[in-house]
Amino acid sequence: MGKYVIKRIIGIIPLLVVVSFIVFLFIHLIPGDPARLIAGKEATVKEIQAIRHELHLDEPIFQQYLIYMDGLLHGDFGESIKSHIPVMHLIGERMLPSIELSLLSMGWALVFGILIGVLSAVFKNRWPDYGGMVTAVSGISLPNFWLGLVMIQLFSVQLGWLPTGGADSWKGYIMPSIALGAGIMAMIARFTRSSLVQTLKEDFIRTGRSRGLSSMTIVFGHALKSSLIPVVTVAGLQFGFLLGGSVVVETVFSFPGMGRLLIDSIQLRDYPVVQAELLLFSFEFILVNLVVDLLYGFLNPKISYET
Amino acid sequence: MTMNYKKITWLCLIVAMIMAMTACAKGPSDSESASSAKNDKDITIAVNQNFTTLDPQNVSDTLSISATHAMYEGLVGFDKNMTIKPVLATDYKVSKDGLVYTFNLRKNVKFHDGATFDANAVKANFDRIQGSKGSLTASHYLKNLKDIKVIDDNTVQFTLTKPFSAMLNKFAMIPMISPKAIKKYGKNIGLHPVGTGPFEFVKWNQGESLILKKNPDYWDSNYPKVNKVTFKSVPENGSRVAMLKTGEADFVYPLPEQNVKSLKSSSDISIDQTESTIVRYVSINTNKKPFNNKKVRLAMNYALNKDTYIKVVKNGFGSKLDSTMSPKTQFYSKQGVYEYNLDKAKKLMKEAGYPNGFSAEIWGDTASDTMKGMQFVQQQLAKIGIKLKVKAMEQGTLSNEIYSPKTPDQAKVQLWYVSWSPSSGDADGATRSLFSSESFPPNGANTAYYKNNEVDSLIKKANKSTDPDEQAKIYKQIQKDIYSDAPWIFLGVDTILSGHRNNLKGVYVLPDGSINIKNAQLK
Repeated sequence: MGKYVIKRIIGIIPLLVVVSFIVFLFIHLIPGDPARLIAGKEATVKEIQAIRHELHLDEPIFQQYLIYMDGLLHGDFGESIKSHIPVMHLIGERMLPSIELSLLSMGWALVFGILIGVLSAVFKNRWPDYGGMVTAVSGISLPNFWLGLVMIQLFSVQLGWLPTGGADSWKGYIMPSIALGAGIMAMIARFTRSSLVQTLKEDFIRTGRSRGLSSMTIVFGHALKSSLIPVVTVAGLQFGFLLGGSVVVETVFSFPGMGRLLIDSIQLRDYPVVQAELLLFSFEFILVNLVVDLLYGFLNPKISYET
Repeated sequence: MTMNYKKITWLCLIVAMIMAMTACAKGPSDSESASSAKNDKDITIAVNQNFTTLDPQNVSDTLSISATHAMYEGLVGFDKNMTIKPVLATDYKVSKDGLVYTFNLRKNVKFHDGATFDANAVKANFDRIQGSKGSLTASHYLKNLKDIKVIDDNTVQFTLTKPFSAMLNKFAMIPMISPKAIKKYGKNIGLHPVGTGPFEFVKWNQGESLILKKNPDYWDSNYPKVNKVTFKSVPENGSRVAMLKTGEADFVYPLPEQNVKSLKSSSDISIDQTESTIVRYVSINTNKKPFNNKKVRLAMNYALNKDTYIKVVKNGFGSKLDSTMSPKTQFYSKQGVYEYNLDKAKKLMKEAGYPNGFSAEIWGDTASDTMKGMQFVQQQLAKIGIKLKVKAMEQGTLSNEIYSPKTPDQAKVQLWYVSWSPSSGDADGATRSLFSSESFPPNGANTAYYKNNEVDSLIKKANKSTDPDEQAKIYKQIQKDIYSDAPWIFLGVDTILSGHRNNLKGVYVLPDGSINIKNAQLK
């Protein structure tokens, strides 16, 4: 097991190199000149040339890639073209709130999603099932910006319980995490339900019942664990997306996350910031995938990583 | 299938309740949320974007300029109407030939880090800008600067390579940084602002907020009158308005037009309107057929109902553009409006040889109000047979399309729906980049490819003049010439809307869209 994990982690490095190359190529190939965009509309050709030179944008693209990689290997992500602020600083300050928000959204979505899924499965085609699935479908169908605005109107403007946005206190995390988690909770509930319904029909459950095990032990001790594989897969994917930040929710709740930074940087063709963010997202995604793979082994001992 | 699932139901319910309770239980214990913990002398300002940098010599967006102007000051500055007044200089002199500017500096001024403001500090700042080789925004303002001399501790002298009438406006855009801080922080000065302004830097939370506190040693002891100012970045219109309603914000800018009605009825909130220097227009490529025909351009101007434009596109807030610049820009001279007259427009089209109109493209960015504006123009011009194709492009792509053609003949732009605001409120900034034949893209923003030899020589003449009355006369003639040539469809001047709680006084938005908080005061 340990060997496997180490192997996988080492495998991330070449993957990231490939990602960095693709990201670099794509962002440089989309039309738009950062020098022109930062110099402003009154700038002359001469001034723009000076900026291009300063930023190495007048060098061949491969040369630029090498300069960039050289910096990366020395742990230097460069600085924002626009503001000259180090990229590490721009990202660093937003990364923690983003991760915290993702964990919180994922956490409650998992707990409630699985609970609703279990209830719906064991009471299949009875009222808890209908109730659960109505909740789930609403969760998927409600657009998160709408949910956000409605919550602000209700809890901030009318009741005055929660701040309209920001991340300066833990209260600021409540509404955004609900808006972000609602859809995921719904998805998890549906996957848990259908998977658990299948499992409850299996032979080993019937055997368990005939041995007189309590329904509690059967559902939580045996059935749920082996039903969770599709749930973990979906949850892992969703978590990866969450870490990338959500422009919509960050905008509605004025939350200092990564999503808005990415959009702003793309609009300004702020190459170093975009590259660093995309690299980081790729890294997070790969890491989440690794954890998901390891969880498979834990949930179903038949899946083994010993070689 | 009749198992006893009661226990499971109970378990689920209990877990759910515990989760919900832990979420609420923490509530009252540490309720130091933004609204309740606010001190009497603290104010919060909600704005719609993120700050990009706090380096006052490298800012280009008006929001970051608002923040840097609270902490920094220049030798001169703008008042509420964008006229120049001395700030860190007590007075200034311009030589007859317009080449030498001499400033007498204010005495007993200290930077926030204790460094003394004097002639050497001024020189250190200008050396920094000129040494940046164009990478600092402020260096664009100093294209004509030859050298700077320290005469004595409190006098500096600037010499220009050629006369430049808008130079004082440029000086107003160059705030002074503590020379000690320039040395200490170098490139990172954008994260550690140290100026002479009424407010000192406390903390900048990336993407979220900027916190400033009172400068107790400010040279004008009447200011500032509040202890702490927090700028919050709240991009969503609805959330910003909600903050004003709840009192989480004392001032919000911009205030969305559609909320004006509902807020007007509130007794705690007031709405302010400022006429801006932002003009909206469609530039017409005068180098291309059929737009090279003045009659066609005039017909397009007559065919467009400006009253409806302001009502529909600007939600009723704005005024008709009656010159090439806003009334708030230096040396503005009213020209009149091409009033809506469909018959006249049709007649002009006929005379120009296009009785049945023609097809063309109108370009613009993807912002929703730009789309609305382009569709409006499309609908209006259809009435004289001009079939417009609306082409909205993301701003980087659009800028590429506009600025990559090297010669006027390569240019593909026909009509461009766009806005302009001179960066330092001066007539040169509202004229040269837009109408001088030296400013054809990629050298400037003359996307009308407008060339008029008289205007070209008048622009040069105005820059050489040192007499404001003469300059006013020249710019009057320039505006008249351009307006009658109609290289644009002249649309409107934006009105800036901001809202504040009634217990706050003295915070206002300048015509260029920057916020001034120096006079902020709470009742």
